[in-house]
Amino acid sequence: MTQAPIIATGLSRSFGTGDDAIKAVDGVDLEVQQGEIFGFLGPNGAGKSTTVRMLTTLLKPSAGTAFVAGYDVVKDADKVRRSIGVALQDAAIDPLMTGRELLTLQAVLYGLSKVAGKNRGEELLERVGLTAAADRRVGTYSGGMRRRLDLALSLVHEPTVLFLDEPTTGLDPMSRLTLWEEVKRLNAGGTTVLLTTQYLEEADQLADRIAIIDHGHIVRQGAPRELKALVGSPTLSISVASSETDEARSILARFGDLRPTSEGTLGVGLARGAEDVAAVIRALDEAGLKVRHLELDEPSLDDVFAEATGYRLEGADAANKPTESEAAPEEKKSRRGRK
Amino acid sequence: MSVSIADPKMMASSSSTRSLLRHTFVLTRRSVIGRLRQPAVLAPAFIFPLFFAALGSASFNRLASDPYFTANIATSFLNYAVAGAVLQGVLFGSTSAAGDLATDIEQGFFERLLASPISRTAIVLGRLAASMVVAVVQVVIFMAIFLVAGARIESGPIGFIGLIGGGALLALAMSAMMAGLAIKSGSPEVVQGAFPLVFVLMFLSSAFFPRHYMKGWYRTVADWNPLSHIVEGMQGFMNHELSASQFAKSWLIPFVLANIGIAFALRALNNRLAAS
Repeated sequence: MTQAPIIATGLSRSFGTGDDAIKAVDGVDLEVQQGEIFGFLGPNGAGKSTTVRMLTTLLKPSAGTAFVAGYDVVKDADKVRRSIGVALQDAAIDPLMTGRELLTLQAVLYGLSKVAGKNRGEELLERVGLTAAADRRVGTYSGGMRRRLDLALSLVHEPTVLFLDEPTTGLDPMSRLTLWEEVKRLNAGGTTVLLTTQYLEEADQLADRIAIIDHGHIVRQGAPRELKALVGSPTLSISVASSETDEARSILARFGDLRPTSEGTLGVGLARGAEDVAAVIRALDEAGLKVRHLELDEPSLDDVFAEATGYRLEGADAANKPTESEAAPEEKKSRRGRK
Repeated sequence: MSVSIADPKMMASSSSTRSLLRHTFVLTRRSVIGRLRQPAVLAPAFIFPLFFAALGSASFNRLASDPYFTANIATSFLNYAVAGAVLQGVLFGSTSAAGDLATDIEQGFFERLLASPISRTAIVLGRLAASMVVAVVQVVIFMAIFLVAGARIESGPIGFIGLIGGGALLALAMSAMMAGLAIKSGSPEVVQGAFPLVFVLMFLSSAFFPRHYMKGWYRTVADWNPLSHIVEGMQGFMNHELSASQFAKSWLIPFVLANIGIAFALRALNNRLAAS
């Protein structure tokens, strides 16, 4: 297989027909490279899960094409399913079964022999730290344990491509960190990972590249650092004695635009980036000014998101994005009540 | 550790009966385990039929003094009530099995199965087979209780097998129809909402009272109700010498209904998959 493990071209999906039709995903182009962790970032209802559901063969595209692990998601859906691991958003795990029973079931469904399935199950339970809870019913598991089991289930057949749909939503910080570590470990072993998230920090921590999706469109795509660099320069904030403020301000102005910061500090957007920090310090020092505090703030992914969409992801909800809020329930309705 | 996974080409060509059977088996096992672990759901399928049988025996026992009843219908009202209890238990059980399938759809486990490379048919067949397994267990338990209480199987051991087979086939028919409804609606509430209709159909049959004593529209509905004929086939095993008509009624009718039900369920499944 020489082509990228995930390629989508003009991928679209509408729900409903006629005037009531809602385009949940509209012309998504993606290319995820071998061994990458690719983050799909966007608020609820932006089209992340719908895209993942198309890529994992659970939903047929209305238009466009997608190839996963070298196979067409429509024409070779079964081959795609054999090649990928999927952990969906809701961690839909039978609460009446034990963790071990579910792993055994999953192993059989993916064609492993009884012995291989049992061994693989034990290995995965160990790996996700659920050995002690393996014989407890899943209904008694915490949210973090369910997510880890879900991840283990998706790995039973050693997939080359792994889809994680909002893997840490609703988890406490510790469980989130544990899951991140596991995703990094998997990726280090060569697994290509596409994960959707609405957490900026998650995308920043995990993803080699990200795509920002909004209202069904990809509005930005690239490595987090590149995207941040496109938004603007980092801000250097310093504080000096009040008697030295004017002189400090004039020195800072030589390195870029002065920016508003918190009271008692001065800020400058470093035109040449972080590499100018040393030069600023030197200039202040040569002028005999004593810097009491110094802080460098890189543009955040939220700045990137805001620049691309016109609103901030942090604190964003469906209420201020009418089109998105309609898309998600529509898909849920179609999932439950297909006729 | 490296895992031996069957070659994709080989697996594809064995989309086959073998993998269908294997997948159906593990999903059947999962469904049976799920049923056994929900005693609150399972219990009514055992308790209510026995309760109705006890109630019927107490209320209608004097029918046994009617020479027509003892000559043509049953040796005792207890013997008569056995088939009704089996029918009721199986219908209860099959409905809750379909409810479990709808819950799988609603909660997303169904989607997990769809994301795996298994035969779609196995997802439905696993549920249906589990209903049959539970029905067999139900019939055996009911028979044990009724035999202890004084009932007799007039048609002997083959009649006993006839009852078990009839119960299993009825479970297949009923659970297939309800599974179709579950897949179509994706809602446990809709499946549960359909149960009163099943209950009414049961009361409008000869499950609890012989057709011979019914009058007017009640009798007409019971005459046309396939459940009447199925249950009478089972009553035949309990109360008469073995005959082909007992098998025709209690096996053939459910078998035909099961085929219709399976076709409905698979069509609902195909429609659901096509819509996704």
